[in-house]
Amino acid sequence: MMVQPTRRSILLGGVALGASGLLPPAYAQTPSKGGTLIYATVSGPGTLDPHVSSSLVELEVIHNVFEGLVALDHANATKTMLASTATASADSKTYTFVLRRGVKFHTGAEMTSADVKASFERYQRVSPNAENFSVVDHYETPDPYTFVVHLKAPNYVFLDILKSPIFPLMILPASESAKPARGIDIVGTGPFALGEWVKDGHLTIKRFDGYAVDMSSPGRDGYAGRKIAYLDAVRFNFIPEASTRIAALQTGEAQLASNIPSELRHQVESQSKLAIHEVFPVGGSYIILNSQYGLTSNVLIRQAVAAAINISDITDATGGLNKPNPWMSFPNTPYYLGTTTPTPWYNQNNPAKAAALLKQAGYNNEKIIIETNDNYDWMKTTMLVVQAQLQAAGMNVDVRVVDWTTNAADMQEHTGQWNLSTTLFGPDHILGPQEWRPLLYGFPNIKGNTALDDAYAAFFASPGLDARRAAWLTIQQQVLGGGYMVKIADSGRLFGYAKTLHGQTDYPGILQLWGLSLA
Amino acid sequence: MTPAIRLILIKLLQAVPVVLIVSILAFLVLNLLPGDPAVIIAGDQATPAAIEAVRHSLGLDRPFIVQLGIWFLHIVHGNFGNSLVLNQTVASAMLQRLPVTLSLAGLSLAITLPIGIGLGSLAAYYRGSWIDSSVMTVALVGVSVPSFWVAGLAVALFSVVLGWFPSSGYVPFAQNPAQWLRALLLPSIILSLFEIGFLSRMTRSAMLDVFGQDFIRTARSKGISEWRIVSKHAFRNALVMVITATGILLSAAIGGSVVIEQVFALPGVGRLVVEGILARDYPLVQGVMLIYGLTFVLINLIVDLAYSFADPRVRYD
Repeated sequence: MMVQPTRRSILLGGVALGASGLLPPAYAQTPSKGGTLIYATVSGPGTLDPHVSSSLVELEVIHNVFEGLVALDHANATKTMLASTATASADSKTYTFVLRRGVKFHTGAEMTSADVKASFERYQRVSPNAENFSVVDHYETPDPYTFVVHLKAPNYVFLDILKSPIFPLMILPASESAKPARGIDIVGTGPFALGEWVKDGHLTIKRFDGYAVDMSSPGRDGYAGRKIAYLDAVRFNFIPEASTRIAALQTGEAQLASNIPSELRHQVESQSKLAIHEVFPVGGSYIILNSQYGLTSNVLIRQAVAAAINISDITDATGGLNKPNPWMSFPNTPYYLGTTTPTPWYNQNNPAKAAALLKQAGYNNEKIIIETNDNYDWMKTTMLVVQAQLQAAGMNVDVRVVDWTTNAADMQEHTGQWNLSTTLFGPDHILGPQEWRPLLYGFPNIKGNTALDDAYAAFFASPGLDARRAAWLTIQQQVLGGGYMVKIADSGRLFGYAKTLHGQTDYPGILQLWGLSLA
Repeated sequence: MTPAIRLILIKLLQAVPVVLIVSILAFLVLNLLPGDPAVIIAGDQATPAAIEAVRHSLGLDRPFIVQLGIWFLHIVHGNFGNSLVLNQTVASAMLQRLPVTLSLAGLSLAITLPIGIGLGSLAAYYRGSWIDSSVMTVALVGVSVPSFWVAGLAVALFSVVLGWFPSSGYVPFAQNPAQWLRALLLPSIILSLFEIGFLSRMTRSAMLDVFGQDFIRTARSKGISEWRIVSKHAFRNALVMVITATGILLSAAIGGSVVIEQVFALPGVGRLVVEGILARDYPLVQGVMLIYGLTFVLINLIVDLAYSFADPRVRYD
């Protein structure tokens, strides 16, 4: 998932995952109910329709108001949430969900399989992620608490698709099913319900006292588990300037603030009543090479670019929370391939090799165009360092700065004239290869790579995790080894908080407000 | 028909082509910008087909001239259209945010006028003295120092250290007038720093012109008090320039409050425009530009009318 610009945000570094491993795990007191948490966040949501939401500022509200059948647990595995069980048939063509009883929407009505079916159908109709559901043949609701999905072909990762925190498949009342994208009433089953929403000003969510806690779980567990809301309400104040967010913390006007720039963290830490929480990993930064435009349509040129890159120079220049990782999966996720498998494409820092590849490609000092933007400092800084590294390897490089909206559209729609750009991808590093697929083909504009096509076909056809991991290795060898993308590093975000705010999770997911309390 | 009413009608008629040109320019500029609202709305995992579907549903796949024609047709019917990303009409988005910007602009002008005119008059009266130099130095600093920098320092001092003002946010007047004032006072003061600098320089210049004229010397020779000379004779004659400057300042405050709204997280029209441009929200930006155009025309009209009150020699018949 790529970062989105603001409303949807201007989320400096804001990817999909982010905030809520908020506090260090040392809080042992029994939390008491009450209080309103003021959260200083970058900007307000454009919509709270979960089926079409992909920006962090929207998802930070959505994940506290809505719930899905399944969710990511603390270890990023699939865990039931509104379902009590989720069972795949032996051939993985039929998935049966038994729903938890007594789950209520914020209207007070009980959730049934009719609501689930209507939500799935609406998702297929309005969500940009609907393509993942093209495998669905039909749905069935044999009784009010059973929901069955029949697929056209075996799919071993169907539950992984359902647990995505981006474009989350949240369950809405059936009465919302006919409504267009962004046109729903904000009614979910989550521990908080929408209160007041003043666009561009603030948004308030209030504890839903009719919330049906999942008592089958011993405690909170990622996006799932036992969700107990202690706060009476949470007010999101939209404050675009980082220094003003920090000032809000310092004056006590806010108890939590997102996206603290690393160069300003000392302003928070210098006050004894405040602290910084590092949420890591949140995403991975990449250089994107346009494989269908000009020089970078030549694999040798792309590999020359990859050979010239020195990762530590880039991360030193950009600052922030960064750790090297050659893979497109975070450590401690099922598809992470470890530290022993060779990754010759990563952090090569080898200008001589780059020069040799350029010579082999017949490069004759033609212009290589980098497109970046001035909305995100780290992106521009990254590309200025890359420009210097490529020039040192003998390339003729121009940097063109546009705004993020243009930059993003050029990468997604393959418009503009550019060879290199950069972006940040988020939860795809957790969710695995099936989530990466549209991005991999889309951003570098990969066409005609049969080895990649075959690897993906093998991935989807493999019932066992080991075989799917082997396919994932091939995919990364093609994408990163073929110079379609160059991985820079895994990155995180900084949150500032008042020490009066308690409640703990070390899970680096999107802001989770259950379990938090104010002393 | 009285001359004033005729003036209003003429000015309003003159405003039609101005507003027309402003709206066409806004439409053209936005449409010529690269970047696509359909991509933003569809999300970053959207397929080309999904993006195309969004584009079609928004009417963005129609020819430019058709989109422009439809927009004008809606405007004639008083419909400014729907924001592409806010899920609300442009009119309601504007109405929601306009009080914030008008409050900010109004309050800053209320601070600016007495201080700017007072300092400018003082500097003119004591021309060449240390008072004149001090006032002009302060004015120069006011017009030169970037407001975002001053805003940062002011927040650090008055909000964080002294705790006199909130660091951000807005409270509607109807909800709590005292909190409204408290929330807007610091941003208004910062916005007025530039305005005070500008107005005091303009006032000084206008007053100096007047002080050098024969009727002032005559007034002094008649033994009229200095206070009366300055306040009644000199200032009255300098008022036309002051009114002109005030009109410019009000327009500048409304159009230029973007930075202050950003720093203090005030949900005003300035932030609305910035976010609209970033999201390529064509109807929103076009609507705001149109309303801005109308507002500036209205301010100019008020300034023109004010001339006749300030200077009896100004007649419109």
